[in-house]
Amino acid sequence: MFNFKFNSISDAIFMQSSNGQYHGLYVWSVVLIVLLSISITFLVYKVQIKNIGKKIK
Amino acid sequence: MKAIRKKRLTTVLLLLLTSGLGTILIIKALDSNLDFFFTPSEIFAEDLPENKRIKVGGMVLEDSVVRDGTNIIFQITDYEESIEVEFNGIVPDLFKEGSGVVVLGYLFEGSIKAEKVLAKHDENYMPPSLDIEK
Amino acid sequence: MIKKFIHQFASPKTYLFQVDRAYPYIFYTSLSIYLVALFWGLFLTSEDFVQGNSYRIIYLHVPASFISQSLYLAMAFASAIFLIWKVKLSAYLVRSIAPIGAITTFIALVSGAIWGIPTWGTWWAWDARIISTLILFIMYLGLISLHDSFTDNEKADKFLAILVIVGSVNIPIIKMSVEWWSTLHQTASITVTEKPAIDPSMLYPLFGSIIGFTGIVVCLVILSSKLQILKREKNKSWVKDYV
Repeated sequence: MFNFKFNSISDAIFMQSSNGQYHGLYVWSVVLIVLLSISITFLVYKVQIKNIGKKIK
Repeated sequence: MKAIRKKRLTTVLLLLLTSGLGTILIIKALDSNLDFFFTPSEIFAEDLPENKRIKVGGMVLEDSVVRDGTNIIFQITDYEESIEVEFNGIVPDLFKEGSGVVVLGYLFEGSIKAEKVLAKHDENYMPPSLDIEK
Repeated sequence: MIKKFIHQFASPKTYLFQVDRAYPYIFYTSLSIYLVALFWGLFLTSEDFVQGNSYRIIYLHVPASFISQSLYLAMAFASAIFLIWKVKLSAYLVRSIAPIGAITTFIALVSGAIWGIPTWGTWWAWDARIISTLILFIMYLGLISLHDSFTDNEKADKFLAILVIVGSVNIPIIKMSVEWWSTLHQTASITVTEKPAIDPSMLYPLFGSIIGFTGIVVCLVILSSKLQILKREKNKSWVKDYV
């Protein structure tokens, strides 16, 4: 249950499935979209809070 | 709770109730149109007109798939009735005999001319070699 | 008693001090849970017997979908509290949850579309589950622009709360869409009443990703509500001391 299912980093990037299809493109683009949109949201709020703090002061 | 809050609470509940009731009525009224695909039995039962774009869903009948180049002919079944589908194009990877499929196309001389073939999978997830790992 | 409780704990000031204290704990705990669960799901689980490796998108898609609906329920709950007890803090929360809800719904839609390409053979279908989720996304955007179109904040709060409650009928529709209509989207794999339809080796990281992602989104809601409070209470004396 806790063994790597991919033999190398390139295997993990391309994610070839047993039907021969490569699924890495789909999986990694979703990972990228999720992490990016969440981090950008954090950043936007932090900046906005900082700005309004300055204004109040 | 004070009387005024009780009144507000009733207003909120009433709001929820009426909007819910309204939606249920709308859904009920739209139900026949919102049925997103027909099963083979429904097609035979409802006597649909030819050349009308419809969606048909069901399982790909075992041993029914015949490939000829990019042409593919197979039967969709709901285990009561089945209907023949003709398609020219690339089917999804998950298209397999015995697995779910949704076909967009029109009825023509008793079979479906498909424009699009989509694979439908179920909610079960498991490793491929489950019985071996056990 | 309820009134006393509300006045003690639901003042924006107390709320801010409390969440400021809790924030780092929630953030680092949930971030580590989420990253561990993602690592587990992406590298350590087997591929699915039907979908192959594309199934791994479940670890990103399901938490986002779950949260997008839960946030709406939280908004509806806060709206009811605001309408009944006139708690200002809940009005701030309703307004600050909406943009976070929009972002998580956006993630749910996009990740679902990408997942659809290798499995269903299409990125979009006029499917009851997809349409009702799209409606949820549009509702979040609509609620935000509606609130911001008012010049009178008090009026905007009230109007928003009523609309949120009316719109909450969409949540059971999203939930039940896969049962009521024949859809391309499969039915739920995890339900309260039945044994999960997912193998345990895949289920544990999925739970981890849901819990972790929830915590991260809670942090976003905290930041968003902080911004909202600072904006709305900027003339109060305690805010000047706070910043």
